[in-house]
Amino acid sequence: MTRLENLPTLKINSEKALTLHYGGKTYNGVQGDTIATALYANDVRIFGRSLKYHRPRGLYSLDGECSNTLMEVDGIPNVLTENTPAKNGMQIKAQNVLGIDANYDLMGFMDKLSFMMPAGFYYKTMHRPAAVWPMAIKFIRRAAGLGKLSPDFQINGRYDEIYPDTDVCVIGGGPAGMSAAIAAAEFGLRVILVENKPWLGGFFEYRTVKDKNGNPVCMRAASLAEKIEKTSNIRIFKPAAVTGVYNNNHVVGFQRGGEKDFFDRRYFQIRAKSIVTATGCYERPLLFDNNDRPGVMQIGCAHRLARTYGILPGRNAVFSIGHDLGIETAIDLFDLGVTISCVADTRDDGQDPELEKELAKRDIHLLKGWAAVKAVGWKTLKKVVIKPITGSGEHRLECDLLVASAGLTPETGPLTLGHAKLKYDNHTGFFLADRIPEKMHVAGRLIGLNDPLSIEASGNLAGLRAAADCGENDKDGVRQAEKNLASHSGPGRGSKFISFPGTGKKTFVCFDEDATLKNIDQAMEMGFNVPELIKRFTSTGTGPGQGRIPGHNLALYVAHTDESPDKKPKPTKTRPPLVSPLLATYAGGAHDMSKRTPVHEMQKAAGAKMDRVGVKTTAYDSQMAAGGKMERIGVWNRARYFSNDKTSRDEIENVRNNVGMLDASTLGKFRIHGPDALKALQRVYVSDLSKIPEGKIKYSAMCNHDGCIIDDGIIIKKEENDYYFTTSTARAGATVEWIRYHTRYEGWDFHLVNLTDAFGVINLAGPNARKVLEKVTDADVSNEMFPFTGYREYFIQNIPIRAMRLGFVGELSYEFHVPSSYMQSLWEMIEDAGKEYNIMNFGLEAQNTLRMEKGHLIIGSESEQRTTLHDLGLGFLWDRKKTDTIGYFALNQTEKQAGRFKLVGIKMENPGSEPPKDGSPVVTDKIMGYVCTARYSFSLNEPVGMALVDDSLAEKGTKISIFEDGCNGDLKHARIVNMPFYDHDGTRMRM
Amino acid sequence: MGECIRRSPVNFTAKPKRTENRGDWEVVLEYDDEKEGPFLIDLSHCPKWDLQDRDISSFTPFSIPIPEEPGGSVFDKGILINRMNKTQASIIHIAGDAADVPEGNSYTDTTDASVCMALTGKNIFYIAEKLSSLNFAGMKKEIPFLLQGRFSHVPCQTVVLERNGFSGTFLFSCSRGYAHDMVHAVFDAGEEFGLKPAGEKAFTGKFMPHH
Repeated sequence: MTRLENLPTLKINSEKALTLHYGGKTYNGVQGDTIATALYANDVRIFGRSLKYHRPRGLYSLDGECSNTLMEVDGIPNVLTENTPAKNGMQIKAQNVLGIDANYDLMGFMDKLSFMMPAGFYYKTMHRPAAVWPMAIKFIRRAAGLGKLSPDFQINGRYDEIYPDTDVCVIGGGPAGMSAAIAAAEFGLRVILVENKPWLGGFFEYRTVKDKNGNPVCMRAASLAEKIEKTSNIRIFKPAAVTGVYNNNHVVGFQRGGEKDFFDRRYFQIRAKSIVTATGCYERPLLFDNNDRPGVMQIGCAHRLARTYGILPGRNAVFSIGHDLGIETAIDLFDLGVTISCVADTRDDGQDPELEKELAKRDIHLLKGWAAVKAVGWKTLKKVVIKPITGSGEHRLECDLLVASAGLTPETGPLTLGHAKLKYDNHTGFFLADRIPEKMHVAGRLIGLNDPLSIEASGNLAGLRAAADCGENDKDGVRQAEKNLASHSGPGRGSKFISFPGTGKKTFVCFDEDATLKNIDQAMEMGFNVPELIKRFTSTGTGPGQGRIPGHNLALYVAHTDESPDKKPKPTKTRPPLVSPLLATYAGGAHDMSKRTPVHEMQKAAGAKMDRVGVKTTAYDSQMAAGGKMERIGVWNRARYFSNDKTSRDEIENVRNNVGMLDASTLGKFRIHGPDALKALQRVYVSDLSKIPEGKIKYSAMCNHDGCIIDDGIIIKKEENDYYFTTSTARAGATVEWIRYHTRYEGWDFHLVNLTDAFGVINLAGPNARKVLEKVTDADVSNEMFPFTGYREYFIQNIPIRAMRLGFVGELSYEFHVPSSYMQSLWEMIEDAGKEYNIMNFGLEAQNTLRMEKGHLIIGSESEQRTTLHDLGLGFLWDRKKTDTIGYFALNQTEKQAGRFKLVGIKMENPGSEPPKDGSPVVTDKIMGYVCTARYSFSLNEPVGMALVDDSLAEKGTKISIFEDGCNGDLKHARIVNMPFYDHDGTRMRM
Repeated sequence: MGECIRRSPVNFTAKPKRTENRGDWEVVLEYDDEKEGPFLIDLSHCPKWDLQDRDISSFTPFSIPIPEEPGGSVFDKGILINRMNKTQASIIHIAGDAADVPEGNSYTDTTDASVCMALTGKNIFYIAEKLSSLNFAGMKKEIPFLLQGRFSHVPCQTVVLERNGFSGTFLFSCSRGYAHDMVHAVFDAGEEFGLKPAGEKAFTGKFMPHH
């Protein structure tokens, strides 16, 4: 097809060709085309098949109002080809088609079976006999749905995100929106203008009709756009769609990137002080038989095909319209070379006399009070039948294009999401905003204005009012703008709703869901008599077009029937996203923000397999360098294993028999200081902390008000009113808030400093730990001078160390808290010093087995939400004299409560069996507990574990049965045994 | 026995051109091929303190009064003090001669608790809005000022030191463990604006030209 040339409104460059591949053929387009316009220029008229009936569907709106032109592009399904720019080499496939292109669909017979698919048929049919349903569901699923996506499909492109703050956000870059943006920007305010199309201008941009000042509106659009683009404090997001408007003027959407942009999609969240909504209107479809037939299209679609893309939409056209834009377009298309058989106008009067004269000049017959009743043609349009709305007679007119539009519908989506209330207005026939939230303004066609000068004036006024919201209150300017708006034409009279009596079997209210007038009638007969219920029952308006095609007509049709209890049309609810983005748009940059310990890389180099843990550590780099397999628990990355042996046997045995080092930097670490620091600690810890000896650590736990344990750690008194304490990794983030919350009414004077990241932690453990330590420090670290549970501060070279004697893994063990910036240096020193003893890294898995053998628990592994201090056998930590400790009352009540789970040691009846998986339920005829942690103990040469079991099973020697995932009923059996499993007297950690 | 040095959690891939030993720190003053900004500068080596006291207004660390209102900042003689809330302030010694450690139980050395970086140059607030909904460029507050909130999804303190439209300078600091991912996220956001790493001189040269 030859393109129209030399039109001032064209957005294509005919000199730059591109090719597309569709249905085994190659098609030529030009730069500036969308995929659909490029195909249309090559006489492709059918773009896809409809959801239920597989009816052929063609270009209808050019604005993405329905699913007609959804196609698979370069492997991505459901691409809206009517507004997606064409790129050279694109591979296009039709959707919902059994065949190679949409022209030939082997499922096309479904259209003949529509009688079998009444409204809500999937709720009512194929349920009985029950055996049919599994088969039916497979068939329905295969037949329904749009597009196919492989589960392992990876989308290409760059997905960006921005969170800009602005003074005024203007939604809509038409004449009203541009006028508003300019008005607000003239105060120096920051303005963001969001426009859905790749260019500014709205419905001015493609029209050559003149305003009352004699300016062609397309030239006026260009002039406003030029001004906008030269205004430095106006940012333009285009092409960009607003998907939602939320509280406090929070505007959310996405921008589509062009070839020169740094992104393919950019998600945005704009925070604005004020919003101007100038989103204009889309067209309300005319309802008649076969109104979905390819060749039937809206006025704006036909007009823009010609004026924007240089494509004549057809050769021989009939117009069936309800407003002056239709007449204007008929005149323009005639002048561009389309034969116009007639213009049927649903209005009896009210046409612009000047437009009537122009029609007459061209011998185009205007039929007032007439409308299309039926489109005829199998796959594409061949004829149209038009009739008078009242009276008799009909014309059957041959044509290949029917431009059909009943009227206009304001795009109120952003308004209603912003909590404006809509009310039907009889004059305009619109749902107009009745109550608009503060700092939100409307302008342009959205409020029923048609006259170009009125539209601009309303935009100017809205911009001034928005500026006032930002503190730039130009009262005189607002008053003048109000007068100016009043001096122009007000909202025009709207078009009435037309529906000819008939079967309505193929009169489509909703193209996306193949919902017809007949379906609406069926739903109402079944008692669904308000639009919101009919929408649910028939799926009308729930497809990709988000209700734009059916929304208005559904409400009007229901109000015109006797079924409706309310004669006032009621709009259905609008929900986000107003426009569907790719899911990748929401993922954005998808940066995984996690923490690393200072020795992360060192451990990785040592073979560490990293996992995500609790809330990443400071020894991260060192451990990665040491080959650690890092594990990420929550926020932190930690080394889980240092080999591919999931039992970590070498690491475990090295700690038991030699010396190993662990990066424990993820532990929570805090300073609490101030005159009331002790009071605050006493409030949250169950133990009495008033007598912590100098040079000693104190182990304690925190409970909640239910007496359930939430954390444990050590506390050190550094000075009077100055303490250092640790928490578990997972609990670190909540600790400050926890303490402040539970002291909030006391007025106590204390202060908390989170030092979790300030210190790295090295755990040096094993019988040779002291020998290694002695090589790096001159301090006396003998058992006498630095005994078990001791705390010391000293220097290793320049490095200040906080050292503790702990025994979590059940061996001679030191924990060094070291400033994170020195962590790698100390790690390397200890590694060097340990070389002669073949020191090794050990990871979380080894630590887990080591501490489990010792009967030491981890909060969260050996406890859950209901586990109290006493359930775990930690009652000895509790000072029952401290009555204002969190959990005091519950601990009193539950201390001897029967029927509670108790922590017990277990050994497998068959020592040769595998240890049960963590979390496996302990069962009788019901669930009686679960295995917390179970591992093969290389010290005992058999599997052992810890379990929380009902107290009736907690006695030593009791046999328990364990159900393991995938065991097929073959239970494992174990017996309750005493703990610890290893070094019962604790001599090894005291050596 | 290994070297006893302090390491920043930030590792730029650029090659240092000039470095300086400062205590146990080796501070990069300039990287190869810095040319024009915008720049991301690692200031994690700068000494930092947390100051908390019920009577915080009576404190004058380094002879500088604490800003009266939360959100207020003062940058004087290379010392940046940020008032965080009623009882708490953060102090960073960014530039200038080594400062004495402030004395008193109310101070906690937090140098190693956080990573501290500066973004400076053209379009840095465009980079910032890709990472945060904090209102850097539009807030009509007297500079410098403190914003506390999420930056690249991580709780941060950010201090705007200089602003001219979407260009200027701001500091941000967050928990040290996030350094690697934070640097990655910031460079990713800054790629379209030509963001590059720079040495400390790119910062001190601007704010302490005689240093």
